[in-house]
Amino acid sequence: MISLNQVSKSFAGTRVVDDVSFSVPEGAFLVLLGPSGCGKSTMLRMLAGLEQPTGGQIRFGDMLVADGGSGFALPPARRDAGLVFQSYALWPHMTVAGNIDWPLKVARLPAEERRARIAEAMEMLGITQLAQRYPGEISGGQQQRVALARMIAPRPKVMLFDEPLSNLDATLRVEMRFELLKVHAATGATSVYVTHDQVEAMTMASHVAVMNHGRIEQFDAPERLLAEPSSAFVAGFVGTPAANLIPIADGKWLGTIADAALPDIAGHAMVRAETIELADEAGPRTVSVTLAEVVPMAGRRLVTGVANGVRITAITDSTDRLPSNLRFRLPPAAAAIFDSEGKRIS
Amino acid sequence: MTVPLRRLRPSLARYGLTAAMALILVVLVAAPLATILIQTLQSGGGAWADVLASRLSQNLFWRPATNTMIIGLAVAGGCVLLGGFLAWLVVMTDVPGRPLIAFMATLPFMIPSFATALAWGSVFRNGRVGGAGGLLEGLGFSVPDWLSWGMVPTIVVLIAHYYALAFTVIAAALSTVNGDLVEAAQMTGASRKRILFGIVLPVVTPAVIAGGSLAFAGAVSNFAAPALLGLPVRMQTLSTRLFGMIEIGQTERGYVLAILLIAISAIFLGIGNRILNSRRSFATISGKGARPRRFTLGTMRLPLALLAWTVCILTTLLPILLLLAASLAPSSLSLFSDWTLHYWIGAADPAFARGQPGIFHHPQLISALTTTLMLGAGVVFAANALGLLIAVALTRQKVPVLSNAVSQLSFLPMLLPGIAFAAAYIALYGAPIGPLPALYGTKLLLGLALTAAMLPFAVQTGRATVAQISGDIDEAARMTGAGFFHRLWAITLPLAARGLAAGLLISFVNVIGDLAITVLLYTPTSPLLAVLSYSYASDGFHQFANAVTLVILVISMLATCAATLLRGRRRQTFA
Amino acid sequence: MLKMLAPFCALALATSAYAQDLDSKSVADLLPLAKKEAKVTVYAFTSRIGRVEEAFEAAYPGIDMVAFDMSSTEQIARIKSEAAAGVAGADVIYISDAPVVLTELASQNLVTRYVPPRMESLVPEQFKSPLLAQRLSTKVLMYNEEAYPDGSPVKNLWDLTKPEWKGRVIMVDPLQRGDYLDLMTEIVLKSDDMAKAYEAAFGKPIALGEGIDNAGEQFITDLFANDLVLVGSTDDVNKAIGAKGQKNPPIGFTSYSDRRDNEDEGWALQVANDIEPSNGIVFPAFLALNATAANPAAARLAIDFMMGDDSNTGGDGFKPFYVAGDWPTRTDLAQHPDAIPLSDFKSWQIDAAETAKIRANVADFVLALQ
Repeated sequence: MISLNQVSKSFAGTRVVDDVSFSVPEGAFLVLLGPSGCGKSTMLRMLAGLEQPTGGQIRFGDMLVADGGSGFALPPARRDAGLVFQSYALWPHMTVAGNIDWPLKVARLPAEERRARIAEAMEMLGITQLAQRYPGEISGGQQQRVALARMIAPRPKVMLFDEPLSNLDATLRVEMRFELLKVHAATGATSVYVTHDQVEAMTMASHVAVMNHGRIEQFDAPERLLAEPSSAFVAGFVGTPAANLIPIADGKWLGTIADAALPDIAGHAMVRAETIELADEAGPRTVSVTLAEVVPMAGRRLVTGVANGVRITAITDSTDRLPSNLRFRLPPAAAAIFDSEGKRIS
Repeated sequence: MTVPLRRLRPSLARYGLTAAMALILVVLVAAPLATILIQTLQSGGGAWADVLASRLSQNLFWRPATNTMIIGLAVAGGCVLLGGFLAWLVVMTDVPGRPLIAFMATLPFMIPSFATALAWGSVFRNGRVGGAGGLLEGLGFSVPDWLSWGMVPTIVVLIAHYYALAFTVIAAALSTVNGDLVEAAQMTGASRKRILFGIVLPVVTPAVIAGGSLAFAGAVSNFAAPALLGLPVRMQTLSTRLFGMIEIGQTERGYVLAILLIAISAIFLGIGNRILNSRRSFATISGKGARPRRFTLGTMRLPLALLAWTVCILTTLLPILLLLAASLAPSSLSLFSDWTLHYWIGAADPAFARGQPGIFHHPQLISALTTTLMLGAGVVFAANALGLLIAVALTRQKVPVLSNAVSQLSFLPMLLPGIAFAAAYIALYGAPIGPLPALYGTKLLLGLALTAAMLPFAVQTGRATVAQISGDIDEAARMTGAGFFHRLWAITLPLAARGLAAGLLISFVNVIGDLAITVLLYTPTSPLLAVLSYSYASDGFHQFANAVTLVILVISMLATCAATLLRGRRRQTFA
Repeated sequence: MLKMLAPFCALALATSAYAQDLDSKSVADLLPLAKKEAKVTVYAFTSRIGRVEEAFEAAYPGIDMVAFDMSSTEQIARIKSEAAAGVAGADVIYISDAPVVLTELASQNLVTRYVPPRMESLVPEQFKSPLLAQRLSTKVLMYNEEAYPDGSPVKNLWDLTKPEWKGRVIMVDPLQRGDYLDLMTEIVLKSDDMAKAYEAAFGKPIALGEGIDNAGEQFITDLFANDLVLVGSTDDVNKAIGAKGQKNPPIGFTSYSDRRDNEDEGWALQVANDIEPSNGIVFPAFLALNATAANPAAARLAIDFMMGDDSNTGGDGFKPFYVAGDWPTRTDLAQHPDAIPLSDFKSWQIDAAETAKIRANVADFVLALQ
């Protein structure tokens, strides 16, 4: 439904989006995931029509909406897309109902239709009772719902979200994730969702594009990102906890612990936390660490230690007091090996 | 907007700031006013009867009051339209020469309104007061009295003088309008016009009201323009009447008029305050996306630019040029002939200008200059610190009655003609109060009075800006456990910096140009520039007076330049 | 209570005795005392005080004159406030606005009379009491001598109420400036003269309108009804009347001494002296002491200095005030060559006490007209 072909965007000579191509089918929930400054918001704004690409084409279905080469760009309103802003961008001088109504008014829908759509949207988000309130009078979570309702009321084919949950506290965030998915399911629209929170990506996405430095690091289903990260960057960015990336050199873990199973290169070995054990005494592939933190999680404990400045996290079922001279035993084989460039080699 | 308190706090933290501000305002504003009110009542209230219900009251109060209201409302409306238009052009569009327009649009306020009136006269005056006619009569047109004198020219000149206030406040608010708000509207496919009238204008309504209020209050208490342009057709306003009453020794009647002027304006401005204070105080700044989005004007780009430039030139360059000419020309009748620098740098010459040497030979010029700058800086700092705290208190803490009192009190000095204000200060603080020594003749008294006088500007600009900082940001900071003043310093202040810069600028310019208050309160040992200019003028040395006025103007312009640069740098760090 | 007050009373008596003692001292006797004080502060209603300051410090080295130039209205406000605050801002008060000064300052003893012994015989009695007048200024009818080379186009004040002067008589709003209110007041005080002048102008006795009590009020009423043009300052009046190149210039009331600016400003101001019953008013500028002067000896010395020396133009102390159109109150100084002598000048000299009595009523009367 949405397809990008070699899309680039430069601001004053700096490429913030660099040669991006992918496509997602109708009804997909695409998450653009990456750290701040990776170009994901610019990507979204190009989809919305608020920025024009400087190269490449963007298509919604068969319809060309932007072409960097020719400078063609369909205005935002004619793309049949809605956008939820990080700041919600609710118009503060209009009531909740007024905010939802305004885009419909601009689209010249008949009054009756508008009323029905406002009621429907508010119903879906559970904000009917807030209709006559002003944005300044309602909570952040409620504002978020209003922003969603405002976006869906015109029934866009494409729904765009710019880090919509980042201003909410943790509990609300979980609740709103559910709401968003509900809205996505109910409307059946194709969604593009920008976030730096990999949990959101993993829980909501049908497709994830991991972005770094303006490029797509990996475009895949969420579970594939976990199972088969294509780069050290992806491996280190996704997963709860993210997999350990332990430096290796000359066939030695951390350059000190020799292991015949390791290739003889400089790079990183990916080791999942669940494959690292706590060792009582020194042995092969054990590494002494300084205890950094312990996080209880779902009845188990995430134990993080530091060795040679590298943080290593293990998961343990043990509820014993941790010994002061903590040791981790590394697994016999790394889940993946990345070269010094971060490229996966096995 | 009500900020839900996440934690139960002692009521002191909730209301403490508002209460403290109320106390300061009582000392700075309410007490001096109460003093003059009591003075008018002490003699049995005869002055009140004279003003309100006697054979004189028609001419003493009702007609001037009507004129004053007409002028105030027309000027407020005109300033909002003109200032808002220019602010929109500069902040929201791609009109060419934006920085220069922005700079020039803040200038008229620094130009004394008598210079603007002079500019009007030089074009439109007719022979009613003899002398030479204006440019139009010179070209052979006959100019009717209504265009030369009275209501129409007074309103036009005051708009030309005060629109800078509306511009500054509205531009500051516009530039903080979240780019997202406009983009969200663009996403709907709304036309530019629709976005302007449906989104942008309503959102900056608080600033529009603030700007209109400032212009209204300035206009109703302005003296120079109605005195110069209104008197020849015997149009009196409350301010000219008030000045006259004090001038001819009928001080009590003058005070009564002052109190009535305050009351009338308070009613009007109370309405504005109500709107500002209502639930629709808009939270629009969020941490991100505050980049303003520019409209492309297309074919209207040049015509609109031309219009903006014309307005700027007519209201800034023309009066400045005339002022400059008037500081160089020996005869005020032919401003562009026989120019000489004598009035600036000439040595004393008994045969010329009654032996008066140029202003740079004036023994007190340098000390007046430094005193002016230091006092200006001190007052500006104090007034704006207070103004910000008051704005924060009003926005964040809604205390019944007290909040409203703070809001009203902080605006009162705006309505007070300087001379009445100064008199009130002398009446109260001139003599020792209990253990406190008499402040009469000290710089402290002058500083206090000026600080109080500048509060309305500081508070209004502070409010328009603080009102736009979303409670979320403050809440976020509150959740980190930061104390109130820490949050103010670390969060509110940086976010409000641009609006505050505007406030600082306005009050600094106002302080160094102020005469009405200064002239009664200045410390004899160190006159201010404005006093210097005034004493030259009162002796008929107009060229010298104009030269000193230009010195003040240059300082004001430098301050504006600095503020503009400062704001420019800020913008980059925000984007 | 009385006991506590007693020392103060004693002090007050002592001070006043000391003051009386100083009043009779000659310049030579004052000088050492003044030198000890080393300073004298002057409030003056004219910037010419700056030149007095220079001359004074040259004449009496070691005594610093600190001079402040502020309008009479401001001085009055300041002096009242200072008295209330218990501070003496100035030692010497040089001030105009006689009716207010006499009724609000002198009568409350906020300022006090001092006549240098040297001047006792040189200044006529009328200018020595209740305060010493240093010189006399004017608000009189002036016209444009370029447009009317044959002399004043007006011979009688009542001419100003005739149709040919409709909208062409100009003056400062008497409710904005005290000296113009004094002029209006004097016209009312001189109602008998005004009534006679009316007959001379119109050839019939005056008939007073409804609610009008005298010829003076009738004149003011008629003047306002004749579209009198009001402006805010005397400079506006001067410009309007005096500007050269006018075909039909207005006529109006301003200061005779402003004629000295004719050349600098390009004016053609000339005084209309031969007017029935009078061309306007002459009023005094007072030199007085602050009742609680911090430097009483130096203050007296300064007043003595400002009254002029024994030369026939008053020397350096009086020089700034020796201009055409202002007259010294001293009878021994030479006439200014460019001015009409006071004795030939056809003006009313205001009686400040009489003026003060009805001034507020006249203000109300004028107020009712506009």
